[in-house]
Amino acid sequence: MKIKISISIIVLFIAAIFFTAAKVDDGFGAYAPTPIKLKIPEGWPKPTNDIFAKNKLTEQGFELGRKLFYDGRLSKDGEVSCASCHQQFASFATFDHDLSHGVNNTLSTRNAPALINLAWMTGLHWDGGVNHIEVQPLSPITAANEMGEKLDSIIFKLKQDSSYKRMFKAAFGDPLINSQRMLKALSQYTGSLISCNSKYDKVMRGEASFNHYEQNGYNVFKAKCAGCHKEPLFTDNSYRNNGLPLNRFNDIGRQKITNDPKDSLKFKVPTLRNVQVSFPYTHDGHIFSLYQVVEHYRTGIVTSQPTLDSLLKNRITVTPKEKNDLVYFLYTLTDSSFIKDPRFGPPMYYSGPNIISKKPAHVEPVRQ
Amino acid sequence: MNRSFLHKKIYWFAVILMICVFSSSFRVPGNKAGTLKLTFVNTANGKVISLRDSLYENAFGEIYSISKLKYYISNVLIPGSGQLPENDAYHLISAADAVNSFEITMNAGNYKKVKFLLGVDSARNCSGAQTGALDPTNDMFWTWNTGYIIFKLEGTSTASNADLNRIEHHIGGYKGVNNVATSIDFNFDLPFSIKENGVTELVIEMNLDHYWKNASEIKISESPMWMTMGGMAKKIASNFGGLFSVMQVKTIN
Repeated sequence: MKIKISISIIVLFIAAIFFTAAKVDDGFGAYAPTPIKLKIPEGWPKPTNDIFAKNKLTEQGFELGRKLFYDGRLSKDGEVSCASCHQQFASFATFDHDLSHGVNNTLSTRNAPALINLAWMTGLHWDGGVNHIEVQPLSPITAANEMGEKLDSIIFKLKQDSSYKRMFKAAFGDPLINSQRMLKALSQYTGSLISCNSKYDKVMRGEASFNHYEQNGYNVFKAKCAGCHKEPLFTDNSYRNNGLPLNRFNDIGRQKITNDPKDSLKFKVPTLRNVQVSFPYTHDGHIFSLYQVVEHYRTGIVTSQPTLDSLLKNRITVTPKEKNDLVYFLYTLTDSSFIKDPRFGPPMYYSGPNIISKKPAHVEPVRQ
Repeated sequence: MNRSFLHKKIYWFAVILMICVFSSSFRVPGNKAGTLKLTFVNTANGKVISLRDSLYENAFGEIYSISKLKYYISNVLIPGSGQLPENDAYHLISAADAVNSFEITMNAGNYKKVKFLLGVDSARNCSGAQTGALDPTNDMFWTWNTGYIIFKLEGTSTASNADLNRIEHHIGGYKGVNNVATSIDFNFDLPFSIKENGVTELVIEMNLDHYWKNASEIKISESPMWMTMGGMAKKIASNFGGLFSVMQVKTIN
């Protein structure tokens, strides 16, 4: 009897705490995160890194990340956002710019890479210097010729905006704003940028078929390009010297990261997905058309470089017809539903109650 | 939702809460726990370092002042102590702070060994965005080549041929041969004791004199600036093992 009474008292006491706690209102809205499960596209390998293992992907975290991605306040002058150089219509590369523009009319020294399928990337940046998706934004945010801002200034600015307090609470449970939460939210957005619905993908899934030229191009691709641009990600995540000369910035690529002369002039093999819209090409963006890229491999490779990739020692032989067909094939890697998906666009156009119901093909809600 | 279901829910909530409370209390072994307090004191030329307005001299007669001195201490281990995991096991020691202390809860008893890491282990260097002492706002993080700066020394010296006679040493690197995180071991001749509910303080000196000369000779005139991994960072780190010594063991209560 005594035990029963004491248990009831404990239960009542705990219930009282429980209900009081639930009633406390800090004025920043509710915390009821909606989990999202990323769907691995059919036939793709498992992601190299489980980028959401310690950063639970939710609608609220994604939305916060998207707002941050499009917010110029992450830069010193308020004008440059992540999206300034990573434009959705260019597959999150910079459309028609060899080099990216930074604050105060500065230019960077490299071409902005496409932000797609990042969960499958083993290293980020052209030189692989960044080892984790969450810490990648620190580099462009703080670089004087990119966003030029100090991290603590950004946190200060975000704290002045009560809409951010609401969104941080919705994503993380309380309105605390710090760099870790900002970076985790950003990576929920960027890590969700999965492009897997090109014509090529439809052909692989048996939903479409290549035309004659595309099929020829695919055959050429498999014979002459797939050694580095491995399907289905169209990169093998390696760093290679593809025979470009040392550029005017003396950019030695991966050697700067590893200090190893054997890595001189090696750069990350970029994905070819959406390559039609992510021009210009190469690490310094000096090649503007796919035909010129193929021509580089056919005639332009500087074969005297000691670190030149062994697959390119004899350059790549393609006939004019093969070159045309190859480019036709590369066009089939354009995922137009991805580059137009409103869910990845600027939040102001799509904010409102309907947004939660707009799911891209690869995202499905977890039923609770 | 009917009432009995609600009651059931509350009941289970209570049970789970009680399990949590009990299991956490079991983590303090035998309830005979005490506290080890580690205090770091930074010195040069036998004086506690004060930033900017004091001058120091290294083994090569080079005169210098210090404007920034920060380093990471982590992975503190007292073997056999049943120590509790720290809430934040990474500590940024800075000469700008009046006191640099942190505490570890462990079993009461006598101990002869304390180990820690000067730096940040490679696992944490590869784990994405961090907070607390490892928050990148602490300015101890390389953004372009991911990794923590584990030891940062900035100042000026007439021996420096760099712009404005600067000294800037940002020492880091966690991969393979470039790893500079250094394990520091103290073996005590006489054991120090942790009493139940008591606090024992180890005052640890970081003597910057050994930074310039220990296993290697680091001359300001030759390398006033180093801000990448590898090369000089490795050479400077070869002196890290000699930086620390136990100044004092104090029983506070």
